[in-house]
Amino acid sequence: MTIWWLYFILALLGAAGIAFVWLIVKLKNGAGGGKAKRNPQDSLEDAANQDVEHIFNEDFREELRNRGRLHFEKIIGENAMFLQQDLRLTTSQLNEYMKTEIANKLQEEFKKYEESIMDAKQLAIESIQKTNAAIDEQRKQMGIQVQQEIVAEKKQLVKRFEDNMADIINHYVMAAIGDQIDLNDQLEYILADLSANKQAIMEDITNGA
Amino acid sequence: MEPKLPISVVSPVDLGRLIRELQAIDNTLSQQDLRQDEVKVPKTSKLLDELVELNKADLSHPTHRQALQEFLTDLRAHTPVVHISFSADPSPLFVGKVMTWLRQEVHPTVLMTIGLQPSIGAGCLVRTTNKYFDFTLRANFEKHHDLLMAKLREVNATPTPTLIPGVPEGVAA
Repeated sequence: MTIWWLYFILALLGAAGIAFVWLIVKLKNGAGGGKAKRNPQDSLEDAANQDVEHIFNEDFREELRNRGRLHFEKIIGENAMFLQQDLRLTTSQLNEYMKTEIANKLQEEFKKYEESIMDAKQLAIESIQKTNAAIDEQRKQMGIQVQQEIVAEKKQLVKRFEDNMADIINHYVMAAIGDQIDLNDQLEYILADLSANKQAIMEDITNGA
Repeated sequence: MEPKLPISVVSPVDLGRLIRELQAIDNTLSQQDLRQDEVKVPKTSKLLDELVELNKADLSHPTHRQALQEFLTDLRAHTPVVHISFSADPSPLFVGKVMTWLRQEVHPTVLMTIGLQPSIGAGCLVRTTNKYFDFTLRANFEKHHDLLMAKLREVNATPTPTLIPGVPEGVAA
């Protein structure tokens, strides 16, 4: 809107300049043209022209020129002042406009930037949540697996202990009281075992060879 | 009458020793007889004394000597041998008791070789011609595995740990 006003003012100034030049040219033409038409019928006109020339002599013309120059300068000065005011106004408006536009643009950019940051933040949060969930799941599975392995190991240890319990207890008993067991004390136990297996021993002795 | 083998003759080594001693005595007495010297029976070992006394034989008679030799040689060739391993070297009294039981219950002329295995702990290992009998304490524990497990669970079920029954407190500590 301000640009159009500027164009309008410049056009107005141009039109005023053209009109002023045209006026000067017209005045010059009017002064020199009467000499060319020197016919008898125009004697009155010549007389009138002489009067005119007498009235509008060189001083008067110079006066008019000065007045016209002053008026033109005044108009030019006023227009320059108007133009300056308009330019200031336009500049201020342009500044305001630029400020507003830049502020809007900045706000939009900031908004976009903030949105992108929020999106990135959301993505990061989702990623972290997914990672946490995966870690929790993995930890849970690992815990279950470790628990299972511990239970299996425990079962294996218990089974190994149960399988070898006779050896363990025998070793323990021998380590504890082995030196206190005399063969004579074991005689009854040994004879009882031999009696229990007497039939097998006899069969093997009689039929084995 | 069937000759008898004394309890003190335990292993084939004793039997071989008797046979050699009897052969030596027989050679000595035969030479004395050939020289027509006075037949004087040399001093014999305790094993041979027991054998002669048990069978009521007279070593001065060649027929008795011959019969004993044949009996011992036949035993060495045919009599069954039982191998028994103990955790420690058994005393002669202990060996005599085991031998008495074997001669009375299993075979009248059975012989026994004795082995030593300290890892047995308590009990013995008996090996006959084709069989192997484990009479050790460990085998007994294995035989009563369920009872041991039941006792162990019973001990574990109690809130406070207790000492193993039958084991002295100092030893368990």
